[in-house]
Amino acid sequence: MLIITSLNKTFKTPAGDVTAVRDVSFSTKPGEMVAIVGASGSGKSTLLSLLGLLESPDNGSIKVDDVELAGLDAKGRTAYRARKVGFVFQQFNLIPNLSALENVMLPLEFAGWSVSERKTRAREVLSTVGLGDDKVLRRPAKLSGGEQQRVAIARALVTNPGLILADEPTGNLDRKTGERIIALLRDAAEQEKRTVVVVTHDEKIATAADRRLEIEDGVLREIA
Amino acid sequence: MGSLQRGVRNTFRNTIRAVAVVVILAVAIAVSISMLIARDAVSAKIASVRATTGTTITVSPKGFFGFQGSGTPLTASEVTPLLSLPHVTALQETLSQRLSSTDTSLNASTPSGDLGQQFGGGFTPPVRVVGTNSPGTALVGGAFGGSTEKIVKGASFASTSDADVAILGTDLARANNLVVGSTFTAWATHVTVIGIYSAGSSFANNNVIMPLSTVQRLAHQAGQLTGATLTVDTLSHVAATTTLVSHKLGSTADVTSTVQTTQTALAPLDSVQTISTYTLFGAVAGAGIILLLSMLMIVRERRREIGVLKAIGAPTGSIIRQFIAESTTFTVLGSVVGAGVGIVMSSPIASALVSATGDTSPAGGFIRPPGGSPGGFTGGGNGFTPPSGMPTGSFRFGGFGRTLTQLHTSVGWGTLSAAFAIAILVAVIGASVAVASVVRVRPAEVLRSE
Ligand SMILES: Nc1ncnc2c1ncn2[C@@H]1O[C@H](COP(=O)(O)OP(=O)(O)OP(=O)(O)O)[C@@H](O)[C@H]1O
Ligand SMILES: [Mg+2]
Repeated sequence: MLIITSLNKTFKTPAGDVTAVRDVSFSTKPGEMVAIVGASGSGKSTLLSLLGLLESPDNGSIKVDDVELAGLDAKGRTAYRARKVGFVFQQFNLIPNLSALENVMLPLEFAGWSVSERKTRAREVLSTVGLGDDKVLRRPAKLSGGEQQRVAIARALVTNPGLILADEPTGNLDRKTGERIIALLRDAAEQEKRTVVVVTHDEKIATAADRRLEIEDGVLREIA
Repeated sequence: MGSLQRGVRNTFRNTIRAVAVVVILAVAIAVSISMLIARDAVSAKIASVRATTGTTITVSPKGFFGFQGSGTPLTASEVTPLLSLPHVTALQETLSQRLSSTDTSLNASTPSGDLGQQFGGGFTPPVRVVGTNSPGTALVGGAFGGSTEKIVKGASFASTSDADVAILGTDLARANNLVVGSTFTAWATHVTVIGIYSAGSSFANNNVIMPLSTVQRLAHQAGQLTGATLTVDTLSHVAATTTLVSHKLGSTADVTSTVQTTQTALAPLDSVQTISTYTLFGAVAGAGIILLLSMLMIVRERRREIGVLKAIGAPTGSIIRQFIAESTTFTVLGSVVGAGVGIVMSSPIASALVSATGDTSPAGGFIRPPGGSPGGFTGGGNGFTPPSGMPTGSFRFGGFGRTLTQLHTSVGWGTLSAAFAIAILVAVIGASVAVASVVRVRPAEVLRSE
């Protein structure tokens, strides 16, 4: 259960203040997939970075399961990122000199899993996103874009977090591959009762979500 | 796999760069180690030379040089009071005379070898007589590469003796068929042989040593001296006492001490030390800067990756450890390669430094025998053989020149721990920049497209 109330974020730039997120309030239910759409520069990524505690809001509240996160210190934010959130990026952002398996094992290391459990768990999640044993030892460069994004989704899911944040996850993929990735995210939401927030330009993906939110100049509103 | 292993693995992500960084570090570390070893060798040399420097001051008549002297003799009335100067503990007075065949029944034995050739062609070398009040000290040996006279037969005479007695060098005694108890004539007087000495060189063993008073009386040079040697209590008082003696005697005498000679001879070694110290600092600074810039470049390149690690929950400390491991791996590889090269290079480098500076020094250069042993380093497994003690001084000060026979290099524990400290310093310098940059990376940057 995610409850956002009156969130604000302003960036100070040499050219003046830029308010990227303006008085944003919304809440989600477990198992729900939410799409956020909006023009370039409207504040989509900034909102995601606030939800994922990559950035601290200027004011407002972020509550997950009745725990206030907006005031956490750096250590608390790091622990939250390691255990409670999974990120999926447009550029996949896998570590190039680690194998698919090692990439997926990384968050487990940061979440404090024992060495022996990491490999088993990572292989298990990789197989649920459809990456067989023949590919898990390859480095990212030896995988297709779709396969790399599957590895990234596995990495986001591996610690079994309650919240998945995806910023344009299909932006670098062809339509067909993109649809499969969206299907994977849907499964992730439904099967484990997670909340999945997807930022996208793609109308078709947006229609596949349970809810659609549009952001314009940092102001968020629900689209019926 | 933990952050340390990732760091070590990251070292080799860009092979060409990794090789370049390791090679540059290795060169810098090799130079550092060579300089440390050269410094150690030179320090040991300087220390051993200083340790063997005598506390004596030599007084000779102005312009008097060896036994080819032509200066006006000194007088005992000038020299003897010097014994009462502060810090002077002993005074050895000598009067050297040359006896031609008309003055003595003795025949000098012709030295063999080159010197013999010089005196060949019918010329009979004169016999040198040294009158002394301190028998049993280095009178005839020192100047000719020999040592202190040792009585091998018979006995010596008392320092105040006025008897017509003499101690003969072994070679001279043999050439004249003289033994203890025999007599010979000098200045038309019968002189009794009471002892035979040996001073380690055939040239030094070709002299006659007699009581000072006897020589002064027989040679009609009462109260005159051709040389004196003062012994000073400690090395630290030698310079001041030399000045004082020189002042007392005025222009009639040359006053020199081995301390001055040592100082002149050591000047080029001192400059080698200075050069190697600066080079050492330069090399360490160079290595540090190279690593620092490389790490800076690497962190810049991996900015996004650092952001990703932070975004997926990596604690900053874990990322910092990863970069420190990478920087340390570079340093360790550079050190291992550099140490090998440095130890091999140290001996030729030390020699080159010494001869290069020696050539321009007023001391007239050093003579180094070829084929100096390479450093005293033996490697085996990961254990270094500890140093077997620094070499003993092989400087020799003779009457006619100075010789630095060899500069011996060896790798001591001190050098190794200094080199280790240098490597650590380099790694820390390199990693510090990486650490500062890692801390500054904001994970939210990852969401921005490039
Ligand atoms: N770190 C920052 N410093 C200054 N301004 C920023 C920063 N991050 C975002 N902004 C500004 O905030 C606004 C929102 O940016 P944001 O990246 O959230 O947009 P977006 O909706 O994700 O755009 P796009 O679809 O192009 O990714 C923009 O005007 C951007 O320039
Ligand atoms: Mg964006």
